[in-house]
Amino acid sequence: MAFSDLKPVTAGDDKTGCTYIIGDVFAVYKMGLPTPVVYSWDMIKSASVSRREIVLTTDKDSFRISYKMFSTVEDELRAIANIECRQKEYGFSYQHEKRLFPLKSMYYECSPGKDTYTGEGLLDEAETAAAFIMLLNFRLMKFLWLVALLIALVTFGVLNFTVGITRDNILYFIPISVVSGAIAALIINIVAHAIARGRFKSLADGDLASRQPITFVVSKLGFAACESCVYQGRDLVPWEEADYFIESDKMFIIYKNNSAVAYIPKRAFDKKFIGGIADIIALNLEQK
Amino acid sequence: MSADIKTDTIDLNGKSVLLVSVKNGEGLIGTCTAGHADHSGNRSNITRLFYIGSEPVIDIICPSYGNKSADKLVSFCPGFQGYDRKVYEIITGCLNRLNSGDSLAVGLRDIFSMLQDGVYKLYISDYYPTDGNGVFFWGGYNISHEVRGTAEHNRTIGDDKVYKPCFLVPTMPLDGFNNKVLVHTEEQVQGRRIEGIVYHISGFHSALLKGHHGSVSCVEKDVPFKCAVIEKITDPYTETVVPAAKPASEEGAEEEKPAPVENHEGITGFRSPSVKIPLEAFPKDMLRLIVGGKTEYKPEHFQTIIAKLGTVRRKAVTNNILPLPVLEKAEQMPDSSMVESAYAIKSLSDEELNCLLAGDVEHNGEVIVSPNFYSSIVTACNFLQFTDTKRFVDFAIAIMENPELGATHDYVSRRVCALETNKKLYGFFKSVVDSGDAKYEKILLTAKTFVDRFEKAG
Repeated sequence: MAFSDLKPVTAGDDKTGCTYIIGDVFAVYKMGLPTPVVYSWDMIKSASVSRREIVLTTDKDSFRISYKMFSTVEDELRAIANIECRQKEYGFSYQHEKRLFPLKSMYYECSPGKDTYTGEGLLDEAETAAAFIMLLNFRLMKFLWLVALLIALVTFGVLNFTVGITRDNILYFIPISVVSGAIAALIINIVAHAIARGRFKSLADGDLASRQPITFVVSKLGFAACESCVYQGRDLVPWEEADYFIESDKMFIIYKNNSAVAYIPKRAFDKKFIGGIADIIALNLEQK
Repeated sequence: MSADIKTDTIDLNGKSVLLVSVKNGEGLIGTCTAGHADHSGNRSNITRLFYIGSEPVIDIICPSYGNKSADKLVSFCPGFQGYDRKVYEIITGCLNRLNSGDSLAVGLRDIFSMLQDGVYKLYISDYYPTDGNGVFFWGGYNISHEVRGTAEHNRTIGDDKVYKPCFLVPTMPLDGFNNKVLVHTEEQVQGRRIEGIVYHISGFHSALLKGHHGSVSCVEKDVPFKCAVIEKITDPYTETVVPAAKPASEEGAEEEKPAPVENHEGITGFRSPSVKIPLEAFPKDMLRLIVGGKTEYKPEHFQTIIAKLGTVRRKAVTNNILPLPVLEKAEQMPDSSMVESAYAIKSLSDEELNCLLAGDVEHNGEVIVSPNFYSSIVTACNFLQFTDTKRFVDFAIAIMENPELGATHDYVSRRVCALETNKKLYGFFKSVVDSGDAKYEKILLTAKTFVDRFEKAG
């Protein structure tokens, strides 16, 4: 199991007086009871991690652990990591918000080996939003020129239908059509950018990790992009877990099932290592 | 920060259990996970290490993603060579204190401070100084191999029963064996209360922290190898509670429905191989320590341990040879199959054995050993071999004489072969060899080997 040394996390509910411990077992100290109710993870039927709370469900009960009950954000992240690792081991159902980084259940523990590059840093909002836009452009550019051409033709047709083309006005109509196509393409682009930025904002807001220092690791055996307070130095996502990657001027974006699983900013590493990192990724994944 | 050590004795069904809790322990002795594909290359294998100080001692490969019902592949690492004098002297001092009359809690106190955080059970138990498969434990793990009896959950015994680990894994490399030391320990073992200190690792196997030479002397002198056992309590267990049935009234007897099965909310308690402790029976602070702690974790000096893992000892091939009688006696000691069977079965009456011989797996409507006939014969043989040699020989001969139980002949003959000096067996095998009867076809080779060996031994 990866993250095998994650310390158990305690959360206290001031309203009910309950104390929850999420670790090798899930324990609930209820107010007034001398002995806790302890659940092994095979007794957990489902877990869900939302923007506000963690919900663990057993056969008879459902426990809502709000993030306010944890004393620090690090504790929240450790609790989520504990749950994700147990989910891999025990296979209970798990619902979660979209993530910027791989789930802990994707990792396995190993010695990263000699050719390992490690970096650390916060995920920069502007950089990541730019990456989102770049990805959007990557998809949009394929048909944006087509849209512009279509709009130009439609405009030309509308002008012909309403005004009628003559030798005198055709020299005006062609530039008007081309410009209207270009303006339409520009508007689409601006709207798409706004959507991309909004999507990133929404993703970042839903992921606690977006505001935490992240440890980035690239090695021959796999990669890691994990909150530094959780990362233990020996956990990697094997390359087989990913499908392909895209490289922008500022980031490597790793994909699985056509959705990004990790954003690895080049800024997190020493400049002289970027070539080596790119080589390792390219050796293990297809570039798109 | 110094370790916070507390000892407590709890009462479990009239038996007292000595528990010790360690908080802020130094983590100089213990087990930890060491990744998946480090050695085996197989990602489904999880590697665990038992270490002492900064030295890796035992490499335990847990197949099938650490499946607790699977036996482990065990191999000896560089081992504890005593370079860490502090650790060495503490362990030696503890054994001396135990033998000078100190209780377990007092005598082992210095070792507790070197353990990982957690709750441990302490007790004294006899150990067989073998690997559980007839090989003397010291030098028995040089090559990584699957060791029977190392699974945490033993399939033969089942999850609901407890058992006492009784086989050993060395912590000192065989290079450390010295005939001169043996001269001293041969005298010492006769008068000792405790011969060794062991730390439980997995299933039936514990690591011998101290007492390697003593174990050799004990086998030579036929002295039971009594050890102080340190066993970590980590595994959650759940038991289904069936409420006691109310006495049925005469009128309502027919309407009485079977008592409903009541499920305890959450787990029942925590266990180690030899004890199951309900949550309610734990002292509060100890329970909190288990619930809020880790089963095992990497020590701060983990990187040093890992770095030493690949080192090869200069004297990897030792010229030190264990005394031959010790190796021979180890072969005769009970193996893990026998011990498992002894824990799995309480008793076997003659009527039940007769039923098995008749090919039935049930007696008076109840399963004797297992619904599987072959498994029943195997387990019954092992149980009898462990508990009553005479009945075992009679049962084995009865099986081998019955051609309808031919599927079990080979296994039974190989097991019974271990009793090399048994005259009754000699008589039977001699008749098998002489008769040339086709019904003995499967055991003929074993019979010949047995007869030859018996006659050579005179």
